[in-house]
Amino acid sequence: MGIPREAYDAFQSIVGSEWVSDDPAICAADYKGGAATGIRDKGSVRPACSIQPKSSEEVRRIVKVCNRFSLPYVPTSTYFSATCAPNRDNTVMMDLKRMDKFDIDYKNMYAVVEPGVSFSMLQAELFKRDLFTFVPGCGSQASVLANNLHIGDAPMGWRVGLGYRRLLACEWVLPDGELLKLGSRSYLKDYFWGEGPGPDLRGLLRGNGGPNGGLGTVTKLAVKVFSFIPKQLEPQGIQPKTTFKLPEERMRWYNARFPSLEQTLDAIYELGRCEIGFIVMHVDPIFGYIARSRGKGANFFWQEWDKAKETLDRKQGWLRVLLTGFTSEKQLVYEENVLRDVVTDYGGELRPARPLDETHLQSADAIAANAIGRRFYSIIYFESVDAGLAVGRADAKIKERYTPPLADTYGLPGWIVPYDFAHVAKQELLNYGDVDDVEYLSELHNECRKNDIKIGAYPYMEDPDLFGPFCFNYHQKLRGFKAIFDPNNVSNPPKPLTRN
Amino acid sequence: MKLEDYIHDAKGCVRCSNCKFIDHIWVQSARFARQCPINMKYKFNLYSASGLLHSAVGIMENELEFTPRLLDALYKCTLCGACDIRCKRNLDLEVLSVIETLKARCVEVGKGPMLEHKVVKENIETYNNQYGFPHMNRLSWLTSDVRSVSKVDMLYFVGCTGSYIDNDIAQAASKILTHTNTEFMVSPDEWCCGYLLYSTGQLEAFKRQVEHNIRMVKELGVSSILVTCAQCYKTWKVDYPKVLGKSTDDMNFKVVHIVEYLAELIKEGKLSFKNRIDMKVTYHDPCNLARLAEPWFQWQGEHRRMGVLEPPKTFRRGDGGVYQQPRYILTSIPGIEFREMERARDNALCCGGGAGVSLSFSDFALWIASERLEEAKATGAEAIVTACPTGKRILSEAARQGKGNIKVYDINELILKAIL
Amino acid sequence: MNVRDELVGIVGPEWVFDHPEKLRAYAEDYSISSLSMPSYVAQPQNSEEVRDIVQLANLSRVPVVPCSSGIHFNGDTIPIEGGIVLDLRRMNRILNIDERNRAARIEAGVTWPQLQHELERHNLMALNPLFPHPLKSVLTSHLEREPMLIPKFEYADALLTMEVILPNGELFRTGSACVQGAPDKSVSDGVHPEGPGLGWWRLLQGAQGTMGVVTWANIKVEMKPGVNKTFLIPFEAITDTADFIYKVQRRMLGEECLLLNNFNLASILAENWPEDFEALRQTLPPWTVILVLAGGWRRPEEKIEYEEEALREIALDLHITNLPPLLPGMPELEKELPEILRWAWPAEKTFWKFRFKGSCQDLFFYTVLEKISAFTEAIKQTALKFAYPIQDIGFYIQPVERARACHYECSFYYNPENEEEVQKIRELFYEVAETLISMEAFFTRPYQGLADMVYDRAASYAIALKKVKRWLDPNNIMSPGRLCF
Repeated sequence: MGIPREAYDAFQSIVGSEWVSDDPAICAADYKGGAATGIRDKGSVRPACSIQPKSSEEVRRIVKVCNRFSLPYVPTSTYFSATCAPNRDNTVMMDLKRMDKFDIDYKNMYAVVEPGVSFSMLQAELFKRDLFTFVPGCGSQASVLANNLHIGDAPMGWRVGLGYRRLLACEWVLPDGELLKLGSRSYLKDYFWGEGPGPDLRGLLRGNGGPNGGLGTVTKLAVKVFSFIPKQLEPQGIQPKTTFKLPEERMRWYNARFPSLEQTLDAIYELGRCEIGFIVMHVDPIFGYIARSRGKGANFFWQEWDKAKETLDRKQGWLRVLLTGFTSEKQLVYEENVLRDVVTDYGGELRPARPLDETHLQSADAIAANAIGRRFYSIIYFESVDAGLAVGRADAKIKERYTPPLADTYGLPGWIVPYDFAHVAKQELLNYGDVDDVEYLSELHNECRKNDIKIGAYPYMEDPDLFGPFCFNYHQKLRGFKAIFDPNNVSNPPKPLTRN
Repeated sequence: MKLEDYIHDAKGCVRCSNCKFIDHIWVQSARFARQCPINMKYKFNLYSASGLLHSAVGIMENELEFTPRLLDALYKCTLCGACDIRCKRNLDLEVLSVIETLKARCVEVGKGPMLEHKVVKENIETYNNQYGFPHMNRLSWLTSDVRSVSKVDMLYFVGCTGSYIDNDIAQAASKILTHTNTEFMVSPDEWCCGYLLYSTGQLEAFKRQVEHNIRMVKELGVSSILVTCAQCYKTWKVDYPKVLGKSTDDMNFKVVHIVEYLAELIKEGKLSFKNRIDMKVTYHDPCNLARLAEPWFQWQGEHRRMGVLEPPKTFRRGDGGVYQQPRYILTSIPGIEFREMERARDNALCCGGGAGVSLSFSDFALWIASERLEEAKATGAEAIVTACPTGKRILSEAARQGKGNIKVYDINELILKAIL
Repeated sequence: MNVRDELVGIVGPEWVFDHPEKLRAYAEDYSISSLSMPSYVAQPQNSEEVRDIVQLANLSRVPVVPCSSGIHFNGDTIPIEGGIVLDLRRMNRILNIDERNRAARIEAGVTWPQLQHELERHNLMALNPLFPHPLKSVLTSHLEREPMLIPKFEYADALLTMEVILPNGELFRTGSACVQGAPDKSVSDGVHPEGPGLGWWRLLQGAQGTMGVVTWANIKVEMKPGVNKTFLIPFEAITDTADFIYKVQRRMLGEECLLLNNFNLASILAENWPEDFEALRQTLPPWTVILVLAGGWRRPEEKIEYEEEALREIALDLHITNLPPLLPGMPELEKELPEILRWAWPAEKTFWKFRFKGSCQDLFFYTVLEKISAFTEAIKQTALKFAYPIQDIGFYIQPVERARACHYECSFYYNPENEEEVQKIRELFYEVAETLISMEAFFTRPYQGLADMVYDRAASYAIALKKVKRWLDPNNIMSPGRLCF
């Protein structure tokens, strides 16, 4: 059918003819891929056009045209989540990659970013001035803005928390095209603070499932950045074996092995009480195998993982800990002493690891999961560390019914990543399938979710219609917010409601 | 080799966007973080490895045709391979092979290549060189002080640009070889290696070049082919065996770039530099000598479940390229102050000279080259040195147009200055 | 419908009040807001009673204004349009102390001393603001985003999950407390604040009771350090304090870190009033940064040692020669101060803000440290125009989140019995506010008339807020007239 000619003409006059296209190849390339392909993008349809604005003003004008002509639009930056997939005819993909400016206030530790700024770009600039940004688990190629609005989680969260704690002020183009500014930006030029004034409308930007573009488009967001060590990290190597050499007098990795998962979690809590560490995470053993296989191919992985079936001690737990002397080298010494004490007291064994970082401070090789399972799918929860283990075990039990064809992960409950010094955690059950296994992954997801409702687990909630009736009918309230702010239902419909 | 051989790879893209960035560990500033030239300029996802892979699936599944924008994206891709090795950090996907065979499919169905590339094909078919100059002038660059012999083991394969356009490189190289008492030969029967045919999808025409040149090598009885052109290097080393269904090791010759050869001589004490060159220089890694330089491993097999390949396959991931040797040479020259660009080695930004893009989209190619020169200037270097005549050409043109205050050299020119 | 009778039917006759004398206590507070009488005060004892009252309010269109502290300073609990004041002080149970997850679930009426005493038994502490009044509700402090003394965490608030009665009378729970079986019979522990679906917890914060009645909340608590070392670093000029605080926070030193001027510090420290106060005012430096280095849960002395070494490096760098742990004449202060700071103001003493003249009006906003000097100067200049003695202004600057920002608070002291003085302070307050807002002070919590000033400027924000309010509170019964509503 296509979008009306008048709408297309309007788009051209907004961004210039080179930045809008309804070429079928452009459109086809703009709605494929992303994490959870085959699961989150069911019912997706090819968009009618793709448009690339350069400023908030252009975004506003585009959105107004979409409202006038009832054209659904989907704001995207890297499109690394299949929730970006359009599921309505005549969708306009609003690709925000041209908006790639950023500004850093080094003294007051925040950065104002547009959607096209990736973590690695920002991190590189921050490292020059002894600051750092959180880098998400999906990789530092992701958009800083989009990721902080979506989930914003990674092992660095041990110290700097989850995404909801890191947003400051922002500019937000509402689904009707009006511009809303939050926090200090509501009436100042500065972006330094995110709350209020009064009730905090950042509550509409995200929320454990969140709007995912369904309540408009944030075009500028201030994010917190944090104090780092006064040392430059040294990049080394040629792909695929690149890494940072860490300054050992300030940063050291450790591995700790415990006889049981329970003891591992006890240690996590104790480390939280001690408030030491830059990164503390419980590691699913499969990660080690994937990391060792990187650059060697899936054959190598499966060979080793198959052997592990007999040799792996499934009761054991593993912690990876990165200690950092933010204050001084002596802080590192102190924290090592404490770590040693804790590991010993909880029955574990501590070993220093190589003084390298391949994947947490820049990069993150989560994509490697797709090398061994082209349809990798996570089932995620955010709750306490203990709840994580309980839910992980429950899900692992359910997963047995789907294994095979899903890859056998030996009944392990996934990995637990604690945040805020163990005040809260992510639990992630890791599920590896191939292209044909999408239905099994979907069914596993559904079974786990039904069980969540029964046992009172708190998953990452993408299905308001499923959970709502058991959770104070929040889905109806979401419907209300959607109706208020997006009366024409054009902003990534039907988000934040359940797709399909 | 056909597009359908790579359907598994084309479908494997998860759209992580890593193909658009250099290795994140090596990102040193926001300005120089990106590496895919078409995506840097045109931004739409189609203009990226991810977009081209998804398009390839669409073509194979008859859901998409070669639209004007697809042709534009495909033929603006310089085949620099940055996306390929970035993807292979984590995944086992033959990204570059998908794009190459997509171009070939485009030609097969009559939608490609660009007009300028068809002219190149005609030139090669008529004159055995891409420029359309008389074949008999192929060795006119030779000077009297160059000692090339017949019946030795090493053939200096000059390439079209060195033979016809930038004689300085060929002359410098041959003088250096003479100076180091290297016995080499040149051949009047040298035909264009066919790089431009292969990289624009004109595979049938390419095969003609392959057959001829291999026959020539056999007849000459050489076992070593020395080149000064990165495009010739990769074509001989990787694409010749590929199109014959063989591995590099199966071929009866070894391909050596002059920087590899000379670095060895320096190490062995057989080459030293008597003249100072007081200059701050940076080095541009040609894609085809750097990340794409690893030998080709022919693989025929089955894609089984969960990424398993039967038989197992060796992937070219970029870490075996020629990175260290040119740097070693430059830092051995007295007076040279070497400055590294932020995007270096496997992370080098393409110069814009690849895959015939400078012929069909010269503005875009010059834009890429200008980007590269900006990066070079940011190091404080007075000169940018490379090891590929096409690279030198496009960078020089960009420098000239930008009235830039940066000189452009081929490495042979500097070596020659340092020894004679 | 007889509202009174309905209220009695919900909470019982002994918990409904409409006698003018009783109502008067809710009609005004320690702010300069005008008096406004409610029609009723009701004191429910559980969430169901709260829910029923709010539903009654919807049916009868009578406003409801919740409060949970026994004292109020900002005018936010005065019923501008009359109605029912919902006094939640009977709901004062500490429902759970979760040592493992370091969280405490408390009802709305739990006060700071009450919670602090209970947490002490578990070696825990809640992150408190500066000397909360002993009658102050912990939950209110968190909802109203009062800044905590410890800027070391990468977050400004400790709120986790909540139970709330929405303005339409529905019971709702935020974050992971929304799951079936919560809070006691689910696998979840109620520690994830986000969701479901949206960030409800954010909408309820800073809302001054307009978005619902929070009946209980789960909040983060932390280990209470057993070993501390306090530093009181004197500064002559405020301009020098910012650099010091920036450096200290960039190197991640210390627990409590705050800046007080001599007036405020004297008000806090004086034992005998007014003699000690006047003496301290003269002897204390114009500005003092209080920094507490606290030992960790393990090896506490080692932690203090490396932090102190870093602190001395900073002092050297800034040519601060005087880094005493003590104030002259107050040798016990070093040991006492951390303890003092981690408790509410003692009930047996006159509240420190009332000591000088009986009452005080605070004006506070958020800014960045590098601007505090300019703001201070502007406040003083404005005070002079009103003949308010600048030496009688209290200043308190609280760095937040490693000095990413700061809460800036100035206090004007007055005699509440003197109507002329009250009026003068009112005028001074608004004049200072106008000046500050023109200098880009960010009033993140706009109480009283500041709300008009702020929302006039933040028009698009106000419009969006009103949309949210209309959806959640279609009958506009929750604290109407507050903020921009």
